[in-house]
Amino acid sequence: MTPELTEAELLARARSGDIAAFERLSGAYADRLFMLLLRLLGDPDEAMDVAQEVMLRAWLGITRFQGRSSYFTWLYRIAVNEANRALDRRSRRPAGVSIGTSELELPASPAHDPFRAAESSELRQALREALMQLPPELRTAIVLRDVEGLSTQEAAEIAGIGQAAFKSRLHQARLRVRAAIGDDALVTSGG
Amino acid sequence: MGVPDQSGDHQWSQQHLSHYIEGDLRPRARRRLARHALGCVDCGRGIRAMRALVYAAAGIDGRPGVSAPAAIFDRARLAGTSGPAAQPGP
Repeated sequence: MTPELTEAELLARARSGDIAAFERLSGAYADRLFMLLLRLLGDPDEAMDVAQEVMLRAWLGITRFQGRSSYFTWLYRIAVNEANRALDRRSRRPAGVSIGTSELELPASPAHDPFRAAESSELRQALREALMQLPPELRTAIVLRDVEGLSTQEAAEIAGIGQAAFKSRLHQARLRVRAAIGDDALVTSGG
Repeated sequence: MGVPDQSGDHQWSQQHLSHYIEGDLRPRARRRLARHALGCVDCGRGIRAMRALVYAAAGIDGRPGVSAPAAIFDRARLAGTSGPAAQPGP
């Protein structure tokens, strides 16, 4: 495969059943998508499981991608939907096998935890903990907009809601995170 | 976004700090919140805290990111032979 293929050309090849083209097309977003799932799920093993499912669903469904949004937006939307399904499954687990909050934030094995590869400030840690306490729909909003830095339009499209509804979730999420961390910690840190 | 009456300024402002920094308030409401925050230590600090929160969220990882594990395509590869060409269209 030549390296000069455009995204449109890779998409056309993938739609015709070329798995290598699909991997190149989706691979361009794989790191970012995996980070998104880590942020939404907080557990590296679960993020990996969901990431594989996202790629499977994208591969099987690529003929239904009609280009009304960018491929990135379409892929991210699958990821958000799959993350929400995973969180829903998690919430329905029997209490005896539920994943505790501390485990979600700090996986037991450092070798398993990409976050711990770099030193984190206290504020970053507090922010991660506060994000994991949010309901999934609010967490998705603040992760897409503030952490991922997507535009409101793009983030709303990925979340599958209108921009006004998305903004409402974003503002609610920020209020809750601010309350959880506290103004003193935020202002002192200077961000 | 509406404008609060004077007595409700503080509570209303506290609830709309994110709207304020996001530019989601109408001009009159924005001026009202800004005016209130000038004389209110809590709301002034709240605006700085909200901005700091958004700034911190953008750098939550403290580094560019991690690489997706190579196994991310494993399930798609396994399904490769029965991939999109074998699937029904839209």
